[in-house]
Amino acid sequence: MDDMDNIDDINQINEINEIDDTDDTDGDEGLVEGEEFDLDLLEEELRRAAAILDPVPPALRQIAVEAFALHDLDAEIAELTFDSVVDALPIRGAEDAPRMLTFHAGGLTVDVELGAHGLMGQVLPPQTASVEVLSGPQAGSPLSTDAMGRFTYDEPPTGPFALRLRTGEGTLVTDWLTV
Amino acid sequence: MDRAHVGALVRAAVDGDAAAWKALVEGLSPLVWSVVRSHRLADADAHEVYQTVWFRFAQHLGRIREPDKAGSWLASTARHESLKVLKSLRRLMPTDDAQLLDRVSDDRTPEQSFLDLEEAAAETERIRHLWQEFEGLGERCRQLLRVLMASPTPRYQEVSVALGIAVGSIGPLRQRCLRRLRARLEARGAV
Repeated sequence: MDDMDNIDDINQINEINEIDDTDDTDGDEGLVEGEEFDLDLLEEELRRAAAILDPVPPALRQIAVEAFALHDLDAEIAELTFDSVVDALPIRGAEDAPRMLTFHAGGLTVDVELGAHGLMGQVLPPQTASVEVLSGPQAGSPLSTDAMGRFTYDEPPTGPFALRLRTGEGTLVTDWLTV
Repeated sequence: MDRAHVGALVRAAVDGDAAAWKALVEGLSPLVWSVVRSHRLADADAHEVYQTVWFRFAQHLGRIREPDKAGSWLASTARHESLKVLKSLRRLMPTDDAQLLDRVSDDRTPEQSFLDLEEAAAETERIRHLWQEFEGLGERCRQLLRVLMASPTPRYQEVSVALGIAVGSIGPLRQRCLRRLRARLEARGAV
């Protein structure tokens, strides 16, 4: 491929991508010999800089290692099917509105409302179940539902969040999400 | 981490091999972290999203359809979770870059300790300049390069799902962004 082809290709791609910067003085001349090598070196320098200035915090890495305890083939996953952060239109002036979540697994639905004062939930169809509020691999606070399948928890969850439910039919864990 | 081993490690972890899981965490953590960081989450949010991604991965481990592409699964989940956290209004707080540059970590890596040495001061300066110029790039370039600088180098497929851009446009965009960074460094007289 000669240089002219190169320029055309790059121009086309730039148009498609609508590059955001206005500074266009560099970048449009094709690759000159040895330049790819230089750019590789620069990328490698950036990689070193990231390892020094913004590495994965070791404590976090350790939490991820311990997360293997969450690998449970016997537990059914209740999928997140509704999340008001994504699926609901924001209501003007209602920044403090509770976050609504719905999880589904088989014939079971779990509705959860996360507010500033804690969480409320309901298992449908109504049934008794034990519920754990999880924030990591360690065991969570145990709760029970009432006869209507409702449960409450007084502390507002922050960070990684999931519920583990034990019903008459088995164990169910909701999809993890960040609150 | 050699991406060729990822599928085998996932399958071993599904069968209960904790060492395989650990290898996955060691090998793919920088990718997850880079994707989260590229979305400019505040520190606390970045920490939470990183954890959520790994908790979700552990939870879904036995159900991942293409174990060989676990890196893409993680990158995609990290993007998804990052965007969602950004979307909840109360969390709209940009990363404090100056703070990042001055941050003194309690858990110092060997590289950080090395940089503490006085004779390494010049090297430290150089790296800080590089980082400042990187942070000064346009948002699109900054985001792409932050993902690309994961170690080991991510696959383009992973970059693609991490940022929602076509695989075919990554190469040209990368070239352009690195050139721009080099021009900034040259203008500063730092090359």
